Amino acid sequence: MSKRTTGGLMAVLAFAGVSLSAGAQDPRMTPKLDNPSKAAVQAIVDSAKAQGVPTDPLLDKVKEGLARGADNAHIVAVVRNLSVELANAQRVLGANASADEIKAGAYALHAGVPAVELGKLKKESGRLRSLANAFTVMADIVSRGVPVGTATNAIRSLVGAGAKDKDINDFQQKVKVDIDQGAPPAAAAETRAKPAPVKPEDRE
Amino acid sequence: MEMIVEELQRPVVLDASFERRVMVRVRRFHAQNRARRGKLARVAASITHHPAWTAAIAASLVAVTTFGIMNGRLRTPAVSGAAIEPTRFVLVAPTAQSVSVVGDFNNWGLGDSALVATSNHGVWSVTAQVPAGVHRYAFVVNGKDWRADPTAPRSPGDDFGMPSSALVVEEGSK
Amino acid sequence: MLGLEGMESSDAELVTGVLGGDVNAYSTLVSRYRDRYARYAVHMLGNREDAEEALQDAFTRAYRSLARCEEPERFGAWLFRILVNRCRTSGARRMRRSQTFVHDEGALLNASEEHPAEQTMWREEIERAVGELSADQREAFLLKYVEDLGYDEMSEITGVGVSALKMRVMRACDRLRVLLKEVHSG
Repeated sequence: MSKRTTGGLMAVLAFAGVSLSAGAQDPRMTPKLDNPSKAAVQAIVDSAKAQGVPTDPLLDKVKEGLARGADNAHIVAVVRNLSVELANAQRVLGANASADEIKAGAYALHAGVPAVELGKLKKESGRLRSLANAFTVMADIVSRGVPVGTATNAIRSLVGAGAKDKDINDFQQKVKVDIDQGAPPAAAAETRAKPAPVKPEDRE
Repeated sequence: MEMIVEELQRPVVLDASFERRVMVRVRRFHAQNRARRGKLARVAASITHHPAWTAAIAASLVAVTTFGIMNGRLRTPAVSGAAIEPTRFVLVAPTAQSVSVVGDFNNWGLGDSALVATSNHGVWSVTAQVPAGVHRYAFVVNGKDWRADPTAPRSPGDDFGMPSSALVVEEGSK
Repeated sequence: MLGLEGMESSDAELVTGVLGGDVNAYSTLVSRYRDRYARYAVHMLGNREDAEEALQDAFTRAYRSLARCEEPERFGAWLFRILVNRCRTSGARRMRRSQTFVHDEGALLNASEEHPAEQTMWREEIERAVGELSADQREAFLLKYVEDLGYDEMSEITGVGVSALKMRVMRACDRLRVLLKEVHSG
């Protein structure tokens, strides 16, 4: 384990310890991992670190679990599951992927997007394009009921057509509103992803 | 055309000495730079005892700071090196007594780090300095009711039985 | 397997380490990107000697300017921009020195160990045809098809408009078809 990671984990654990003494009036402010859970989390973080998987999301997940009052065993299980998803995301996204893309990719996997689809999109989009936002929106629309195939096709067509993150966010908002108004999720995503007419200067 | 591209995409492997040659240049520059910094430090140490120099340096520091603020957002580097971007969180909750924001960027509210929103006739808002990157967050209403941001993408990592939202902060996006 | 090799630390962690005084961390970044970017430099400049020089120079310039790398997690993309610019100036020097395109002998040597003689000849023809393109067309073609970049990204790197880049790529493709057809029909 590197000094940095050890420091990060110790900070999380120490933080919880400080809260124990400082926040007696609020149960949410008194979270603490027991020693076996600390050891289990540390082993997961060590393993992730050894694979080059970003470890900050794992530490954030511990904090989230503590803040939400989850029991220790549950926190450890969730952190372990996330470490697997981060490793899978990193494997399919390749060495060019940023930590943010891996994190967003892991959450897209969690939502049910197949790993191979993330890899395809990354390969098609080139190394300079960050897909963190695209993966986030993909996960969102899948969680709103858009079938996985429809969601991945929609995002791929948007990214392939050169859509910026702002355009992809607009797409997400429109799909959300359509679904909230009663549209079938698949139809909403398919319709909203249709490309705009080609501008004359692009027809060369 | 595919055959041409396939051929051109074949890897080119450099010999092992390449890395060594680059690092020779890098170490030489590093050594020169360290020597230069040492010299500057010695010069600085010699002038700090001179009142006129001290006053001049203090004046220039004030000028640099003021210039930074006057020319737009003052960015503070995060520990990770990511820029910090001001980000506004808004929740409409007319009957709420209190609203706070917790997420990856503030230790999920542990140790009293939650961001407390203020109400404008039930429209609660707070602006936070959030590092560029992918984050998850939630609103906590009345200290116990966890809510996702209805205007933001959902985060699928609803592992602890309470909803959360996803936030992608781009550098210079706000 | 795409991404696990040599990935003990992220780019951002390594950049932070280097800026904190750990010079050795930079050698990990060099080994991570050297072969990947050597391909672009070799194809762009047409010979291994100039390509290695350009790549060495890009790595050294990146080290000197590392504090200005605003997104350490995207060090690779930032380095690539430096390399593309460096290849432009190097390409200009090479054109002044000689108009003859020299193929990458080292790459051909490697290829001949893995592929039959016809494949090596085909590769040589392609290298020669790519070398016949103008520098602008070659740059646009390599960025688009070999490096898999989108037009917006290419525009960001080169400072050239998307429409002009599309024209360059299209003309490069047309020219390559003609050149390689000539070889096969002749």
